[in-house]
This record gives sequence, C-alpha cells and structure tokens, in this order.
Amino acid sequence: MKSSVESLPLLQGVIDCIDVGTLVLDANERVVLWNRWMDLHSGVLGAETLERSFFDLFPEQRGKRLEAAIGQALRSNLPSLLSQTLNRWPLPLYANKAAAEKGERMQQQITVTPLNLGNNERYCLIQVSDVTAAVQRENLLREQAVALRSQTLLDDLTGVANRRHFDMAIDRETRRARRMGTPLSLMMLDIDYFKAYNDHYGHQQGDACLEAVASALSTMQQRPADLFARYGGEEFAVILPDTPADAAVMMANAMCRKVRDLRIPHQASRTDERIVTISIGVAGSDNAGEVYELINAADRALYQAKACGRNRVHSI
Amino acid sequence: MVRLTELEHDALVELFNIGVGQAASAMSEIVNETVTMSVPAISFLTRASAAKLLASRSTGNGRLCGISQHYSGAFETEAILMFPEEKSQEIVRLMVGEAMPLAELSAMEQEAMSEIGNILLNSCVGSLANLLGHELHGSLPDYHVGYGEEILAQAGSGETAVLMLHIEFVIERQQIAGDVAFIMDMTALHDLKQHVANFLDRSIGGAQP
Repeated sequence: MKSSVESLPLLQGVIDCIDVGTLVLDANERVVLWNRWMDLHSGVLGAETLERSFFDLFPEQRGKRLEAAIGQALRSNLPSLLSQTLNRWPLPLYANKAAAEKGERMQQQITVTPLNLGNNERYCLIQVSDVTAAVQRENLLREQAVALRSQTLLDDLTGVANRRHFDMAIDRETRRARRMGTPLSLMMLDIDYFKAYNDHYGHQQGDACLEAVASALSTMQQRPADLFARYGGEEFAVILPDTPADAAVMMANAMCRKVRDLRIPHQASRTDERIVTISIGVAGSDNAGEVYELINAADRALYQAKACGRNRVHSI
Repeated sequence: MVRLTELEHDALVELFNIGVGQAASAMSEIVNETVTMSVPAISFLTRASAAKLLASRSTGNGRLCGISQHYSGAFETEAILMFPEEKSQEIVRLMVGEAMPLAELSAMEQEAMSEIGNILLNSCVGSLANLLGHELHGSLPDYHVGYGEEILAQAGSGETAVLMLHIEFVIERQQIAGDVAFIMDMTALHDLKQHVANFLDRSIGGAQP
C-alpha cells in the first residue's frame, strides 16, 4: 500500500482512466475529485471545480431529484440510482464539442453512492454513464415493435387507423398533453345523410364513398403524431396533439371543403348541391381533463353541427 | 414466528407510512403527476409463507418483478420490492408515459423500475433507521424477474424471516399493489422487535400494557 502522499495522485490517475464520469463531493457538497471524463464531456476542467459547490457548477439541479439523492447519500448514507427514463438529461454533458454547440445533451444514467472514511468523514461518489447508444437501440426496437403492431391497427376497408388504434392514441395523447401542459384537440366527424346514401346507392357504393372520403381526409394531417382514424360506421376521428382548438377549427373547415370538392353525387342528400358533405365537431383539451370528457365534448359538438344544418364545423 | 403487539404493529405501520409518503412525493416530482402510496398492513412471516402470499397476489403468469437492495449496519437485510410482472409494464406506462409493447420490460424500462424501487426501498429503510437510531448503508438496486420463492431465495437459504409490507400505489387514479419484503435472520428479527418496543417506550413513555 502506498503512503497517503502518493495515493492521491494514484487515485486521480486511476479515475482519469475510467470511462465513466466520476466525481466525489464532500459533506458540504463541494467537489473534491473530478475525472477527465467530466472535463471532456462537461467542458469544465477539474482544476476549475476543486472546492466549488456542486450546485454552483450545476445550478439547475437545485431542488431536483439529484439534489435529493446527494442529500440522502451524505446525510442518510443511502445510495440512489437516477435512470435515464425518469430523469432526462439532468446534467449539461455532451458527447463532443459539436453536440455541445447544438445543445444536444448526452443521455445519462447517474448513481450516487455514499462513501464513509474511517474518521467519520462523509463523502459521496457520483458516477455518470453515457447510455446514448442503449437509448438509440431501444428507440429502434420501439419503432419496429410499433410498426409490427400497426399492421393490426388499420381499418380493413379504408386503410386508415382503426378504432383500437384510436383508443390507444387518445389515451396516450391526453396523458402527454396533461403532463407537458400542451393543448390537444379532437375532431369527431361523419358523413351527412350517409344512411340515405347507402339506401339509395347500395352498400358497395357506400363503402366506396367511405374509402374516398377517408383517403381524401387522411392525407391532410401533416405531423407524425396527428391521427386520422375510423371511429365506427361512417364516423371518423382526428387527434391533433399540440394544437389549440382554434387551429383545429381551421383545419376542420378545410376538411369540409376538401370533401365538398370531391363532388361525390348524393341524390338522397337534403343539401342544395346534392353532393356528399361532412359535419365536424371539435373539442379542445382545455375544457376536458379526462379522455371520456374530451370524446364526449367532441361528440356534442358534432351533434350541434348536425343540428345546425350539417356540412359545417362546430366547436366546444 | 415473532408476534408484535397491536401497539407495536401500529407504530411500525405508521413509521413506514411516513417513509413511503416521502417516496411518493419524490415520485410525484419526477413524473409531474400526483403519486400516493400507503402501507395498509405489515406482517412477519416465514419465507415459505411469504412465497405463498406472493404467489396468491399474481393474476397473470405467476411471475413477479423484483427490485432488491442489500442493507447492512445496525442489522442486515435484503429488501425487495415486488410487483406481479404484468403490473410492471403498467407502472412504467403510468410513470414514463408509454411502455414498449413487448412481453418483457426493455433494459431502459427495467432501469426505470429499479429507480422506482430505489426511491421506495430507501424511504422504507430510512424509516427503519430512524427506529433503530442507527444508519444503514445499502447497495444499488438490482432487477430480477421470477417466481416469488426464486426472488426471495436470493438472500440465501438459511433460516430467515420476512417482514412484509403491503404497499398500495395510486398513480393517475389507477391503483396498483405491491409488496416489500425485508428478509432477515432470526437474530435481526428479534433485534427489530426489541427496537420497536424501545421506540414505543421512548415515544410514549412506556405506557404500553
């Protein structure tokens, strides 16, 4: 065993070779050890960190889970794990200079472990692992799993998302909207006088009409999270994440125009032009916190649009 | 098996409820949703009856997912948080927002479950440390999947007792139940009972019948 005078440079040498971010804080949360990995990925050199409070270096971590974990290690002697999934990008660490310039933080997994020296001195060891590769691999896996699943999530007739897909998506999107505090809009729409259309032209032509309307409307949602789904019968639904109700109403009006522009003849329609038209109800998540409330609101809006003469948009 | 008086039982339940309350607020902070947790009951069991109890909880394939940490110091114990395997995906979905549509949790999802276990186990052990008046120190969490007896057997096969905490989580109005097992040897168990008695003496001045 080396004497204590020699062991400190040896220790520093060892942690500098370790390919994991490694730093040690004393009982007052001051940095006493900081390895080269941290130099490289934080852009802060070890010499600048010595004896500085961890929270001076990373002020945004005050009041966060990492502060609680450090406190638990220093004061209660208990170790903590901060997973990448539940703690996205806690520290400003970057894979390289280019990533730092773009502000793209590394995906991190952090452990905080208490260290007890014999003389009652308490320290804590923080280790940061770069899990970017694992996260990318899982994202790929997720995409493939979702792609596989989507094969059972399409409506046989129209090829758009089916009811099962809609149910899963609306559940996920209301959760996300609530969590992120972003607006979410939902449209419910159906084809006006569709029963009369079926009675007049027969079911085969009814199906062709559904296909034509679905295919015209399903191309109008531009963003990947937007979802156009067949809700049932001649009813369709559109989920628009990150969209306030007024923007959804604009889109709904464009959808009504698009269907009119198809100029599908409908002799049994009671509209002036005797063509196929749709009615749309629009609801925004600001007046509904729960999934069923949002669906109910959009349904009520659709009913209003019908009651006001069809071929129009109504919003709640 | 060691029996607690009603007063001792209630004192322990209250102590653990304070602990898991703190864990719940830490989790609420992480997921930005209200998470509540409570410990309605605890029991001391032999390992065989603990395994039987765990088997009875499962509704699906009978397998459990377990997050374990080893603690030592004033006394030594393997602490394990367990959920029926099919519930683990639901917890990840509720905590993370979505879960991968696979039969088993992905590595990153397992890590998230480990963090949930870590927060919860540390809080329970913090309660125990308060009771003992001594710190315990622990390992980082490990994740396992298996049948109840397999998970409990990690602590070795000696004669051991299990302190079982039944835990109820409510996340987004959905209720999920799990169990925490503290596996310890008989000496540790008797020590613990003694500490509970001392704690009651200290806090209520020995008014115990």
